Amino acid sequence: MTRQPFTNLAHAMVLCALLALPAISQAANERSGVFKNLEGEVSVIRAGKSLPAASGGGLMEGDRVVTGAKGAGSLILKDGTVLTVGPNSSVDLTHYIYDTTSQNGSVLVNLIQGTVRMVTGIMGKTNPELIKITTPTSVVGVRGTDFIVEATQ
Amino acid sequence: MNGFSRFLPTTLCWGALLLMLAGCATPPPPPPPPPKVSVVLLPQTDAAGNPIPTAVSITMGAQSQQLDKPFALAETDNKGQLGQRVSSAEEVQARYGDVLKMQPPSPEVVVLRFLPGKSQLTPESEQQLPDLIQRASARAGGEILVIGHTDRVGSRDANDALSLQRANAVVSLFKAKGFASDLLTAIGRGEREPAVPTDDEVTEPRNRRAEIIIR
Repeated sequence: MTRQPFTNLAHAMVLCALLALPAISQAANERSGVFKNLEGEVSVIRAGKSLPAASGGGLMEGDRVVTGAKGAGSLILKDGTVLTVGPNSSVDLTHYIYDTTSQNGSVLVNLIQGTVRMVTGIMGKTNPELIKITTPTSVVGVRGTDFIVEATQ
Repeated sequence: MNGFSRFLPTTLCWGALLLMLAGCATPPPPPPPPPKVSVVLLPQTDAAGNPIPTAVSITMGAQSQQLDKPFALAETDNKGQLGQRVSSAEEVQARYGDVLKMQPPSPEVVVLRFLPGKSQLTPESEQQLPDLIQRASARAGGEILVIGHTDRVGSRDANDALSLQRANAVVSLFKAKGFASDLLTAIGRGEREPAVPTDDEVTEPRNRRAEIIIR
């Protein structure tokens, strides 16, 4: 627990680094990703409201994905990143910017609890240093990669 | 394997396994606390099946680990120390089978061509649209991305606009055939990704194309 202040500082630094990027125009309410395979209980929490996830439905920046004990779901984000959320998980797409013409952008996924698999897409090649996954205790950075992160509270 | 891991949450599963390995001593020791965080790097291959070098780093306060070998796994121990070892395909399958099985199939890529100097598809390309819609619809949440490309005649900005205009023209055709607009995306890449590299201002019909990604 003594690590916590340091980790929060690390989170804040990651967030600042990502937000300090030159602004790339992004339409409001634009989808950052689309749900693909779903199983069991999977919901999206958007602006304080919980909605059941559906294949073909969208995920937006700021949304949280929550799965039940037998729930799991996969998403493809705009740049082709495949994000799979395992059972008993809670995951925020805290930040997602991607410009389809220049192929630049940045991603911050916050895994509050549970499991995510990320297979990076185009940004894994163009901006790998701007892709981060945080957990309550750690920060994961990538280089063109397929990996799984699990966090337990 | 999948079936088995479905019945129990994975952490419980591992706790149970460790307990069984501990034998018949009484009273059974309490299960070790689960790691605070685990990260495992999975191997990746290119389209030809050759391994791609990849890596992830994990930072926890002052501790950090670099994972750069297939199935390298970083995990905290019960004292909160972040260590690293090499896991295996079998262990990852047993522990994360319920995550792995949700992976959508790889995207399909098809190239369509335009009539010279127009945003109109060639008849051959237009004939392919119903089949592309069928293939996208067969996927859970299947999307169609249309990526327009130009040759290098004209300025970069003009080609960005032209490529997007061509992509939008193809997206309109998919919409007209009833494909959901939520699942259609038009992208203009201008002259950045030629199929055939040329000098600037060179006419090259093979570069005037739309790449269709079904995913």
